[in-house]
Amino acid sequence: MAYSEKLIDHYENPRNVGSLDKGDADVGTGLVGAPACGDVMKLQIKVGADGIIEDAKFKTFGCGSAIASSSLVTEWVKGKTLDEAGAIRNTEIAEHLALPPVKIHCSVLAEDAIKAAIADYRAKHAPAEDASAEPQVA
Amino acid sequence: MVESGTSLEAKGVAHPLPQACWSCRGPVASGAAFCATCRALQPPAEIDHFRRFDLSPAFDLQRAEVERRYFALQRQFHPDRFAGKSATERLHSVQHATALNQAFGVLADPLLRAEYLLQLSGRPVAGGEAETVADPELLLEAMALREELAEAEDASAVAALLAKTEAMIGEIEVALSGAFASGDLAAAAGLALRFRYMRKFVEEATRRRRQIGA
Repeated sequence: MAYSEKLIDHYENPRNVGSLDKGDADVGTGLVGAPACGDVMKLQIKVGADGIIEDAKFKTFGCGSAIASSSLVTEWVKGKTLDEAGAIRNTEIAEHLALPPVKIHCSVLAEDAIKAAIADYRAKHAPAEDASAEPQVA
Repeated sequence: MVESGTSLEAKGVAHPLPQACWSCRGPVASGAAFCATCRALQPPAEIDHFRRFDLSPAFDLQRAEVERRYFALQRQFHPDRFAGKSATERLHSVQHATALNQAFGVLADPLLRAEYLLQLSGRPVAGGEAETVADPELLLEAMALREELAEAEDASAVAALLAKTEAMIGEIEVALSGAFASGDLAAAAGLALRFRYMRKFVEEATRRRRQIGA
């Protein structure tokens, strides 16, 4: 089975490998796993004051397709708004890298990872509803 | 004489009705390996791995007992014993041998056995191609172990990680035994998933140790 040049390039020269400070309020962290193969993927985004993703890092322990999928996603999300980044679909990742059918789940993992990172960032910035949602006394 | 369909159904046998022998067309009791009339070898019955070994579905199995049954059955159906028989019987003996190998592979492996039991209980462990897990505790543990492995510089560091993980797997097996014994399938499913991650880690660490060359 021949892997595409783009896939091999991302696997051999992965972009944006590393970690951002998980505790930073501007950083959202997504941690997801593929139960079928025991792979684990961490994807982090750093969001600027203008709501644009200014940096993204990943750390993936898994097969080449999982590494390439997460590497590609970190490149794609930079410069995007959270909504734009959240609209990335695994099918686009799979198509760009020409993933073979047995590796489609790696692109699903990458989509879930960016969604989880966005959700984590939003949770950090959500108004503290638990504290302020006291019913108003009429 | 063949048992009635009803009583076989009550035992949960996959083929409740007698089959016709492929060779003499006579009735063959459900699950019977040989035709009572012409002694021709029948294809393997579609039964679960436990039943194939005449065991009740359970997590706690003695490996020695599984092996004993496996070797006894393999002797009975081994293709060598059917070398002089018809092409159909030779094919059936190969099918029997394959089914026995598959069953042994699952029953002898605590992780696969746990996942198989969950599947039989109608609660398949997460593991579909398009499924992802987001259990933070499990993933943080898996990520931390992988990072430690990536940073391990010599064989002894990898060996220490392997020993630690093997000990964790031992604890998971004990916990699985308890979860299945008490019928807590949700707990068993969680443990099986953690087991799968640990198994993957052991594979990676073993590969790493080979690379380091010790």
